[in-house]
Amino acid sequence: MLIKRLLISVVDDDESLRESLPDLLSEFGFAAQTFSSAEEFLASDSIGLTKCLILDIAMPGMTGPDLQQELRRRRQEIPIVFITANRDRTIRSRLLKEGAVEYLVKPFSDTALLEALNIALQLNPK
Amino acid sequence: MENELSPPFDVFPASVWTALQQILDGLPTFVTLLNPDGEPQFANRQVSEYFDATLDEMKGWESACTVHSDDRLGVLAAWQRSVSSGEPYDYEARHRRSDGVYRWFHMRGSPLRDAEGRIILWYLLQTDVEDRKRAEEALRVSERNLNQTINTIPTLAWSALPDGSADFFNQHYLDYVGISTEQGRHWGWTVAVHPDDLNALAASWRLTLESDRPGECEARLRRYDGEYRWFLFRTNPFRNESGTTVKWYGTNTDINDRKRAEDELRHSEAHKTAILDSALDCIVTIDHEGRITEFNPAAERTFGHRQAEVIGKTMADVIIPQSLREQHWQGFARYLATGQARALGKRMEMTAVRADGTEFPIELAITRAPLDGPPSFTGFIRDLTESKMVEEQLRQSVHNLRQLTETIPEMLWSATPEGTIDYCNARVLDYTGFPAEEIQGNGWKDLLHPDDVDQAFREWISCVTTGAPYRVEVRTFHALDSTYRWCVTTALPLRDQHGHIVKWHGTIVDMHDWKQAQEELRTTQAELAHMMRVMTAGQLTASIAHEVSQPLAGIITNASTCLRMLAVDPPNVDGARETARRTIRDGNRASDIITKLRSLFEKKDVVTEAVDLNDAAREVIALSLSDMQRNEVILRAELADDLPPVMGDRVQLQQVILNLLLNASDAMSTLVDRPRRLAIRTEREEEGSVRLTVQDTGVGIAPKNFDQLFNPFYTTKSTGMGIGLSISRSIIEGHHGRLWAAANDGPGASFSFSIPSGPDGAAGTIKRNTMLTSATTTRRKP
Repeated sequence: MLIKRLLISVVDDDESLRESLPDLLSEFGFAAQTFSSAEEFLASDSIGLTKCLILDIAMPGMTGPDLQQELRRRRQEIPIVFITANRDRTIRSRLLKEGAVEYLVKPFSDTALLEALNIALQLNPK
Repeated sequence: MENELSPPFDVFPASVWTALQQILDGLPTFVTLLNPDGEPQFANRQVSEYFDATLDEMKGWESACTVHSDDRLGVLAAWQRSVSSGEPYDYEARHRRSDGVYRWFHMRGSPLRDAEGRIILWYLLQTDVEDRKRAEEALRVSERNLNQTINTIPTLAWSALPDGSADFFNQHYLDYVGISTEQGRHWGWTVAVHPDDLNALAASWRLTLESDRPGECEARLRRYDGEYRWFLFRTNPFRNESGTTVKWYGTNTDINDRKRAEDELRHSEAHKTAILDSALDCIVTIDHEGRITEFNPAAERTFGHRQAEVIGKTMADVIIPQSLREQHWQGFARYLATGQARALGKRMEMTAVRADGTEFPIELAITRAPLDGPPSFTGFIRDLTESKMVEEQLRQSVHNLRQLTETIPEMLWSATPEGTIDYCNARVLDYTGFPAEEIQGNGWKDLLHPDDVDQAFREWISCVTTGAPYRVEVRTFHALDSTYRWCVTTALPLRDQHGHIVKWHGTIVDMHDWKQAQEELRTTQAELAHMMRVMTAGQLTASIAHEVSQPLAGIITNASTCLRMLAVDPPNVDGARETARRTIRDGNRASDIITKLRSLFEKKDVVTEAVDLNDAAREVIALSLSDMQRNEVILRAELADDLPPVMGDRVQLQQVILNLLLNASDAMSTLVDRPRRLAIRTEREEEGSVRLTVQDTGVGIAPKNFDQLFNPFYTTKSTGMGIGLSISRSIIEGHHGRLWAAANDGPGASFSFSIPSGPDGAAGTIKRNTMLTSATTTRRKP
């Protein structure tokens, strides 16, 4: 019996991750979609289908935290795993307080990501 | 004696006759009475005694038998004519005396006539004229001699009448001018006078005639062959007993040669006078006794004596100072005695004295006039007062100059136009420890470091050939520490008014310390710059981490995926291969970033190359983008198309650009009320240079701070040393450019630098490529 894979959306301006993460997510058993910017994600019809959002913090234009705010404003309660190249404890604690599932500093291991995703999906009411 | 005789003529009574006969006998003259036929009837005692014959004897003589045979025919004819015509008889003839000697007699006979006019007798008086005749003969001979003399003397002789008209020319005269006496008579001779001289000669002749005194005049006479020669005409009046001039006698003497000599002499004299008068040197001539005979105007001026005052005075007393007179006289006496002169023909310097008693230096040369007779000497004297002064000044000046060149603390040298060193001052010798003779010529090459000799020599030869200024930086031997030290050796050519090089003058400047200081300064600056880069790197830690973390994240993700793909059964080999490929790609990307970062932050030598400022700016933008994003800065790049490259050090220029970008970003970090906009702009300037401007909308710069902006420790920031702008400026100035700040029209400030474009900077219109950029548009695509 075919089990529908859960959709994980990746928003990152870095192409390396946009290329590599979907394969890894696929190995984890998820479906994956990538977006190069927050605006692109907001404009897509994937918001409602997305079970977890892997979101870059520093991006040109709308940043990761901006998107987090915007989704909250839209009542779109999507679990968010932040990924960033900058290790910043202040931001990390703030983002976690805002409801983020995890704050992963690039480069992160596959197990760390998988753990974060599991947490996110368990937290998901669905 | 013949008293008994009857009177021979019946005209006399006997008594009368007797008395008459006695009277006639007593007369001291010869008296003969003849009958009308010419027969002697009476001869007085003188006659009888002369011929020693009686009347009867005489009657028996043939006619005129006592007359000299040369005279006889004449006598007979004259007598016959008188007897037949009754005309008085007058004749001179020689009569032979009884002793056979002929003597001249003047014979006069007159007829005595009766009342009817018939001749009744002739009385013949005979006067002894022998003495007179002799005198006459002597005179004739004398005249003939005179004539011969006159005609043969080698001068032109002539005579003229009291009215001046010529009446005689001697043969020489006639031969000389080629005319006959007739042609020359009266005024005919004037045809031979030179036309130019005729008027003067005529006037002179007229004056002479009027004055009635001897006269002379010079004029040219034409010789028979047409050549004119100068003659001196001289004439004396000949007066009779009453003192009246009856004749003018004259001679013309050929003075042509003398005249020419005179002319030459006159010219020569005029010449000499002109020379004497106009000579700048004093010319004083003395005779053998030392007396002044000439004293020219220059001498008058120099010595203050008038010529008239000193002529005839002893030269020594006039111009030689008292102290030197003795010496002068000794020399003069020695010369006169021995002919040996120390002074002749040499230039001497001595002291002379002026009329006012002041003494002054002169230069003197004495020559002896090359004439016969007692020696005379000419002294050429030059007042040396001024030239001595000039000489002294010159000497002093040369001395000063030499002192200057020897004492100024610089190394000086000079060379001939051919490039041979002919002078080095003492500093050169002190510095190098070489003696002058070893440096001069081409020995200077030994002073240089062996590695520098060829280059310096080539350059020197080239400059000597072309006249271009010489400048080389060479290591020169330094005696004090026996090392070679860096020196700048320069030389410039000195040219004459024709532009020919007459000398090279050069300097050697030790710039070893300076060069070292320069080196140290460069090192220090480089270290400072590096320090700043390191500090900048600290500022950029986030960016760097971001840049490196991105590919690392990709790598780890890909590698993890790869492992997972291989771990399933069956392994997803194709997927694993693809993720492994991406791993490698991202690894390379990370490596590129590290390389770029290293080049920016590592310490390395300055390299000059053609730099495209647009490229350099793009790299810096890429590096700082994350920093910009973090600071929420909107960066806009306006990079001109076809921007010519500049020559410079890429990393240093990027450092400046980065510094400007970070400063601009910092300046906007506190802004809350307006967008944080940053523009980076490149453009081509008209003067063949390239400008880069970084403009922000930040807090701007207070005008009072503009001056301090570039001070090394000026900063408005709470962190950092603020050394960035100062170093940036020194980097730009090192690129022959400038860096400045300006306030914007709106908020914020602009920082610009401008540097000359490189050799390949081609002309062309600049098209501005304006891009409103977000981070991704400038992000390097894989």
